[in-house]
Amino acid sequence: MDILQNLLTTLEFIIQGLWITVWVTVVALVVGLVFGVLTALMRVYGNRFWRQVATVYSVVIRAVPVVVIIFILFFVIAEYVNLSPFLAGSLALGFASGAYQSEIFRGALQAVPAGQMTAARAIGMSKVQAIWSIVLPQALRLALPAWGNEATLVLKDSTLVFVVGVPEILRRTQQVSARTNEPFIAFGAAMLLYLGLTLLTTQFLGWVERRYRLQM
Amino acid sequence: MKKQAAIYLLLIVALLALGACTPVRPAATTTGGDAPAATGKLAEIQAAGKLVVGTSADYPPYESIDADGNFVGFDMDLIRAVGAELGVEVEIQDMPFDTLIASVQEGKIDAVIAAMQATAERDEQVDFTIPYRMTKDAFIGAGDTTIVIEQAEDAAGMSIGAQTGTVQERWIQETLVAAGLTAADQVSSYERADLAALDVANGRIELLLMDAEPAVALAEQNGLKILLITETTAEGGKSIAIPDGETELKAELDRIIQKLIDDGTVQRIQEENGLP
Repeated sequence: MDILQNLLTTLEFIIQGLWITVWVTVVALVVGLVFGVLTALMRVYGNRFWRQVATVYSVVIRAVPVVVIIFILFFVIAEYVNLSPFLAGSLALGFASGAYQSEIFRGALQAVPAGQMTAARAIGMSKVQAIWSIVLPQALRLALPAWGNEATLVLKDSTLVFVVGVPEILRRTQQVSARTNEPFIAFGAAMLLYLGLTLLTTQFLGWVERRYRLQM
Repeated sequence: MKKQAAIYLLLIVALLALGACTPVRPAATTTGGDAPAATGKLAEIQAAGKLVVGTSADYPPYESIDADGNFVGFDMDLIRAVGAELGVEVEIQDMPFDTLIASVQEGKIDAVIAAMQATAERDEQVDFTIPYRMTKDAFIGAGDTTIVIEQAEDAAGMSIGAQTGTVQERWIQETLVAAGLTAADQVSSYERADLAALDVANGRIELLLMDAEPAVALAEQNGLKILLITETTAEGGKSIAIPDGETELKAELDRIIQKLIDDGTVQRIQEENGLP
């Protein structure tokens, strides 16, 4: 009973970091989505130059730990633009996620039969029109399962933004643990929160997936 | 393929160049130090009416966060007292300990207060104020001991233990053993302080010399007696870190810290936070 009470008060404290974790994740996923889709399009439909740019982005960013990217963005870029820790952290996380999402969307774009592009061009659509109204809508749906996985990874990577001082769930956990000297309860509470968040995310994305499934 | 390699190389060079810019920046701002006032960090802080301080709030009783989310602890009370003297508001930011120095260098925060010692390596990166609290050591004996220690040197000739590789062990070796006051075989070296505490409780050694802060809790846990708390055996103290070359800010903070030590404020908040 005592442990339960303890766990509840701990949860109550840590939960104040919940929204920060959620917002960091949402901002990072949206930024990553924009970067991911754009670079995937560049790689599949771009000319030689754009293809190279997108490939370098994807390869280099995926080769660097996310923490390093967060540090560089916060301490180097922020020399010129003054970013708040929250923005720097979430943008960096999004920038990193974009490289992984780029691979997801590239695969999805290539999975749409090439004949559809040819057919769209044959009936007089421009290349942009064909991508926008024929290929992309299908590719986005094909990408959903893999994207859902990336979403849970970003959720967990959101713990990294604390290196620049954003008090998300994990940091709140460390604070309680330091104060109460009961790391098991503190990290247990954090585990429950992350588990809850991840299950919610996967449930929601599962629903989206069923709702927008391609009828082929 | 060759072209791609060139792009990679360019990107890496660009990143390194960006990185190389950063150390130059703080140095550039310091040139403002020899101009009359209004350009230094001190003027900036006064103009903003706010002192932004970084800490790593996971080290009670120096700094931690209470159940209501407030910053509490010795360092926190002290920096608020410093802010009151400066006539500015204090904004505290929680960061990992490893990031603090970089953050103060980059101007993300104005100062660091995190029970930090001014080591030589850190001193190259940032400036430190005078210590606001000296490190203290404790001599511990068994609960029923009759030994009386009034000053550190009274430990001469008694069997004594310390943690391996610590400042305390070095003090024993250099001050007691090297001077022939204590025989070399009277000194025991322990992997961990709690193991040494057990040996004191069992009567295997008469004294244990260790850092005073963990000593209080350790003595309580094992039913031991704290015989003396002293600065003699310890080295250094805890200081506030500020950006490199900010001489005006350093002078002002040094003055305030000295004043707070002299008028007993430091002593009072030390006791309020249960520090030896």
